[in-house]
Amino acid sequence: MTGRQTALYVFRKVFELIATLLLVSLFTFLAFSVIPGDTARIMLGANATEEQVEALRTDLGLDKPLAVRYITWLGGAFTGDLGNSTQFRTGVAGLIASRLPVTLGMSILAFIMIVAISYPLAILSSRRPGKLADQICSVLGHVLFAIPPFVLSLLLILIFGSILKNFTIGNYVAPNVDFGIYLQSLLLPAFAIALPKIAMTFKFLRSSIIEQKASDYVATAKSHGLSDIKIMFRHILPNSNVSSITIISLVLSDILGGSLIVEQVFNLPGLGRLLLSAISQRDFPLLSGIVFYLALVTVLLYFAADIFSSLSDPRIRLS
Amino acid sequence: MARHIHVVKVHHLTLSFPTRKDPNPKPVLDDVDFGIRDGEILGLIGNSGSGKTMTSLAIAGLLPEGARITGGSIKFQGEDLLTMDPKARRKMLGSDIGMIFQEPSTALDPLMKVGKNLDEVLVVHGIKDPKQRRESIIKMMSTVGFVNPEEIYERYPHQLSGGQRQRVLIAGAALLAPKLLICDEPTSSLDTVTTVQILDLLKDLCRKLHMTILFISHDLSAVRNFCDRVMVMKDGKIIDKDTTSDILNNPKNAYTAELLTSARLDPRMLGIERAHVDYSSSPVLTAKGITAGYRDRGFGKSFENKVLKGVDLEIYPHEILGLIGSSGCGKTTLIRSLLGLLPHTGTATVSGKRTGAVFQDPVSCLNPAHTVKWHLNEALRVYEKKLTNEERMAKIIAALEEAGLNEDFLLRKPHQLSGGQRQRVAIAMCLIMNPGLIIADEPFSSLDASSSAEILKLLTDINRERGTSFLLVTHNIHIIRQIAPRVVVMHDGKICESGLTNEVLSNPKAPATIRLLDAETKLHGA
Repeated sequence: MTGRQTALYVFRKVFELIATLLLVSLFTFLAFSVIPGDTARIMLGANATEEQVEALRTDLGLDKPLAVRYITWLGGAFTGDLGNSTQFRTGVAGLIASRLPVTLGMSILAFIMIVAISYPLAILSSRRPGKLADQICSVLGHVLFAIPPFVLSLLLILIFGSILKNFTIGNYVAPNVDFGIYLQSLLLPAFAIALPKIAMTFKFLRSSIIEQKASDYVATAKSHGLSDIKIMFRHILPNSNVSSITIISLVLSDILGGSLIVEQVFNLPGLGRLLLSAISQRDFPLLSGIVFYLALVTVLLYFAADIFSSLSDPRIRLS
Repeated sequence: MARHIHVVKVHHLTLSFPTRKDPNPKPVLDDVDFGIRDGEILGLIGNSGSGKTMTSLAIAGLLPEGARITGGSIKFQGEDLLTMDPKARRKMLGSDIGMIFQEPSTALDPLMKVGKNLDEVLVVHGIKDPKQRRESIIKMMSTVGFVNPEEIYERYPHQLSGGQRQRVLIAGAALLAPKLLICDEPTSSLDTVTTVQILDLLKDLCRKLHMTILFISHDLSAVRNFCDRVMVMKDGKIIDKDTTSDILNNPKNAYTAELLTSARLDPRMLGIERAHVDYSSSPVLTAKGITAGYRDRGFGKSFENKVLKGVDLEIYPHEILGLIGSSGCGKTTLIRSLLGLLPHTGTATVSGKRTGAVFQDPVSCLNPAHTVKWHLNEALRVYEKKLTNEERMAKIIAALEEAGLNEDFLLRKPHQLSGGQRQRVAIAMCLIMNPGLIIADEPFSSLDASSSAEILKLLTDINRERGTSFLLVTHNIHIIRQIAPRVVVMHDGKICESGLTNEVLSNPKAPATIRLLDAETKLHGA
C-alpha cells in the first residue's frame, strides 16, 4: 500500500466510526423516548406536585421537542460534554470513569483466560482429530457453550464461594487500594464470562489449525526437516491467526456484553450496574453516555482487528 | 562413509493402512523392491493410486498417520531408515533427502518472505550465522536461474509466478545439496514452456550438486528426455523396470504397453472419430470484444488491470475448438467471462441451447458432503423444474450411463470416487442439462494417462453423437492436434493466432505459438 492509499483507508475507517456512533446515539435517543416513564416524576418521587415536576422538566430541558433535545445533546457530546446524570447529579464522564476499572479489568482478565486456555486446547485437540483428547475437549466445549454466563456465575459462586470457601463473593476493592485483592475479586466473574467464549474460540481455532495442517506449505516445512512443534508455531498458528483475528475481535466485544450481566450476579460496581440503574431511573444522559462508550469500544475493536489482520497478511497488505 | 552403488535400497517393502475393523487390509505397497543408483534420475510412473507417492513418502519418513510398514526395509547409503531414531531421521530431511511437490502455488508459507521460507532449512540444520545463511540462499537462488536473487529473497510467494515458485522450492530442497531429491509430480501443474525449463534445471542441478533424483510422474512424456531409468507401478507393485528408452520404445510388459498407448492418445487406438463441422452454419457461440480484468478499488480513483484485451471468438455446431497458451495468458479469465462468472465488457452470444462447463480439478468441483445423485439432481433442478420423480431418475441414470458410469454410483460421495470417475460425474452434470456447448478447462491435467485417455474418448463421443460443441482449453498441444479441427492461440490477453489446427501447428506465425511448439517438441520429442 502506498502512503496515499493508507491515508485514504484510515480516513474511510474514521468516517465509518463517526457514522456508526451517530446512528447508535440516534437509536438510543429514540428508544429512550418511547419507553414509558417520566424522568422528572421519578426524580421527585410520587409526592411532588404537578408544578414542581413541570418546573424540573423545564429545568432539564425536557419540555423541548425531541429533535431539539437530541441536537443539543449531540452538540454537547461533540465537545466532550456528555452532560450530567439526572440521578447522581454529577458528570456522566466521571461516573463512567469511576466504574471502568471493574468492567475493563474483568474484560481484560477474561480475554487473557480465553487466549491462554483456548490456544493450548486447540493445539492439543488438533494433534489427533477424532481421538480421545479431541473428543473430550469437543464435548466439554459444547456443554460450556450451551450454558449462559449468569448460570455459570451462579455455579462458580456455589463451588468456590459456598463449598470450597476460598473466594469471598462480592467484596470488591478498588485497584489503587489493594491491587491483589482487586484482581482476586475479578477472577471468578472473569472466568464466568470467559468459559463460553473459550469454548467458542477453541472450536474455531481447532478447525482452523486442522485446515492449515493439511496445506502444502506444511508438507514443504516437513520436507525441510522441521519438527512438528516448530511447524506449529512458525507456520500453522500465524496462518490460522489471520482468520482468527476477526473471530477474536467478535469475542472481545461480546465479553463486554457478557460482563454487564455477570456484574449483577457477583454484585460488582461496574458499568453494567450503572447501565441498569440508568434505565430504571430514566437517566438519559447517563444511559446514552454508557451506550455511546460501549459502541465506541466495539467499533474501535473492529477497527483494530481490521488493521491487524490486513497487516498480518502480505496478500492483503501488498495488494 | 563407504561409497554405495545404491543411494537408496528399498527391500521387499510392504505397507498398509490397518484399521480396527480390518486389521489385514490389502497392502498399498506390496513387496516393493528397487534401488536408486548413485547419480541417476529414476522415473516412477503409474496411474493414480498405484502407490508412487506412498513409496516416496516411505523413503522420506513422512508417511501419513495410520500407515504401517509390515515388512521389508529401506536403506539409505547402507543405513537402515526404518530402525533409526525418528529425530535423527527427521534431521535427514532437507540435508540428505530433499523433496519437491506438485503444487508450487501453495507450497510456500504465504505469510513469510521467500527468503525466510528458505532460511528455515538452514536454521534447522544448525547454520547459525544469519549472514552466511543469506549468502548461501542467494547463491542457490541464482543457481536455480533467478537473475535477481536479492529481489526475489525479499518478495512474498504471492508475488511470484507458478514457475518461479517451483524454482524457489527447488532451491530450498537443494540448499544443502542432499544426496537424494524426491520430485513428486513437480511439473504437472505447470505449462509446457515452464515444464521444460524446470526439467532442464533439475537435470543441471543433478549434475552440479551430484544429486540423485527419484522422479514421480503420471506424465510419461516428461519422463522421456529426463530419466535414465523408469519403473512402472500398478496396484502397489513394481511391475516393470528398465532403461527409459527400452520402456518407452520397446515395452515388454503388457501393462506398460497399455499405459504408453493411453499416454500417446492415439485417436485410432482410442477409436476416436472426428465429427464433421459445417462452418457455413451459424455459430453456437459468438464472442465480440471480451475485455475483463481486476479492478483495484481505491477511495476515489479506480483503475483496472486488464487480463483480457478484446477477444473475438466463434464456435460452430459440432466443433471442438482448441484454446492454447502459456499460463497467465488469460485462458481461464476468458472462459470465466464466457460463462458469465466474471464481470466483463463485450458481448458473448450463445445461440439456442445451454452452456455447460467442466473444470480442471474434479475434487473441488463436487460438494464432498453430497452423493452423485444429489449433484445430478441439483443440476437438473435448475433447468427442469416440472418433472416427476420417475422422470427425474430416468434422466439422472441416462446421464450417468452416457458419462460411462452406472446406477451403482448414485449413492457414492466424491471421496469414494477416483479422479477419472469424479470427472465423469462433472461431465454427467453437464450432459443432464442437454448443453449445446461444453467449455472444458484443462479437464485432463489432474488425471493420469489412462483416465485422460478415457475422458478424451468420452468427450469426443459426446461431440460426435450429440453434436455438442466444445471449447477445449488445455496445455497439451498433442490432444489439440488429435481432436480439434480448429485452434486459437492466446498470448497476453489477446488471440495472437487462430485457424485450422494443421496449418497453425505446422506453420506457426506468432512468436507465442512458436515458443509453445518448441517446448512441446523438446518435451515430447519430434
